[in-house]
Amino acid sequence: MRIRGFFLFRRYTLLIFIILLLLFALVLMSLRAKQRKGVEFFDALLMEICSPFQKASTLVIKTVQGTFQQYVFLVNLEKENRMLKQKIAELQEENHRMKEMKLANDRLRQLLQFREKNSPSMIGAEVIGQDPSSWFKSVTIDKGERDGVKKGMAVISPAGVIGQILKTAPHYATVLLITDYNSAIDSLVERTRAKAIVEGKGENRCQLKYLLRAEEVAVGDIVVTSGLDGNFPKGLMVGEIKKVDKKGHGVFQYAELVPSVDMTQLEEVFVIMGPLPPPPLQEEKGKKGKKTKK
Amino acid sequence: MRRIILSLLVGILFLILQTTWLHSFPIQRIRPDLLLIFTLYLAFLFPPIFGGFLAFLMGYLMDLFSGNALGFYTFSRPLVFFAAQFFKERFYLEGFSFQFLFAFIFGMLEGILILMLMNALHPVPPGNLYPLLLTFLLPQSFFTGLATPLLFWFFQKGSSYSFRQPENGIKERV
Repeated sequence: MRIRGFFLFRRYTLLIFIILLLLFALVLMSLRAKQRKGVEFFDALLMEICSPFQKASTLVIKTVQGTFQQYVFLVNLEKENRMLKQKIAELQEENHRMKEMKLANDRLRQLLQFREKNSPSMIGAEVIGQDPSSWFKSVTIDKGERDGVKKGMAVISPAGVIGQILKTAPHYATVLLITDYNSAIDSLVERTRAKAIVEGKGENRCQLKYLLRAEEVAVGDIVVTSGLDGNFPKGLMVGEIKKVDKKGHGVFQYAELVPSVDMTQLEEVFVIMGPLPPPPLQEEKGKKGKKTKK
Repeated sequence: MRRIILSLLVGILFLILQTTWLHSFPIQRIRPDLLLIFTLYLAFLFPPIFGGFLAFLMGYLMDLFSGNALGFYTFSRPLVFFAAQFFKERFYLEGFSFQFLFAFIFGMLEGILILMLMNALHPVPPGNLYPLLLTFLLPQSFFTGLATPLLFWFFQKGSSYSFRQPENGIKERV
């Protein structure tokens, strides 16, 4: 009986393996949904192994792109002009480098001013990688738990909101962008103070959900964070409304917005570290007062 | 063992290329899924158990660096691998057009599976995503298919060089 059982096991080894592997994947999904520490530890470990290569690759790509832009048009030169062209190339390279430095300087100055103006408890991070899949929108940054970065922290730039920390490793973290389908941020339409949830819609677009039909919103209106979700400070720019649709039936209207930050061109970001001040209630009260007056 | 470690390193290399180099392409939709192509090639290079385990790891790595919080690729990549293993003996897979079709179909099927999982398992289903099948998945799978014959050729050259195997056709390798 035992021998027969052994042979049956050997016969179905492959099938058992396939079922076990797929079951294990499903169990992992469930563990991730419950946010268990064991999975997080393994995630962080693998991320720590892979991210330095990612960082190096980004650096190489940036360097090659810079060099390519600089030299690609100088390849087919005639011999007699080589010396002269080389000098031009050197000067161009120097010029390019200085321009890059100036741009970086401007950018960093802007970031510094932004940081000083908004919150002292922010940390700057560099984007070292993008999402490998096409369905989801995230970036990897070079700051992690050792720098104080935690899950759920807000990630912003001087231009506006970028997203939230989704996964962390000791030295790296993954940021879920606001354009991802899984992202949702509590927000306000700046002009009318209408409340809504900004949800990701994929390719550099978001939609406003639960925006009441009675609220007046128009194309060009600015959407800012409400501060009510506890992650983002109040008043940070999220984007600009590009489309409003009241045609359908129901309590809510549909609006689409373009984020103020171009998510395809991210280089440096800020992670908000410190606890946020409780959102002021004055404006909400003011709005309610206005409504009752009407 | 050497073959497994080398394949894992190649997988990591492709992941890094996919998260860095491919994003410098100006048009996002023409980005081929290099790791999917590699997973399909694993089906020709490895027996089911080792290959399945490697495909599982490839999926796990994909999930690790993506905004996908639940881990759909950890589930879909071994499925793609076993399906490719199952079909590799039943189809003629030499030449550009057949390899293109093979990867194109698997790209589309995996996309549909991910979409279904997203709709089924997401606490709040993220709206109607099915138009994306035409606007997004179709072009991406097309370019994944286009890149497949070239990458398969490189993989064949690489594996014949690394493991000192004669350069046979893709199906004679197993």
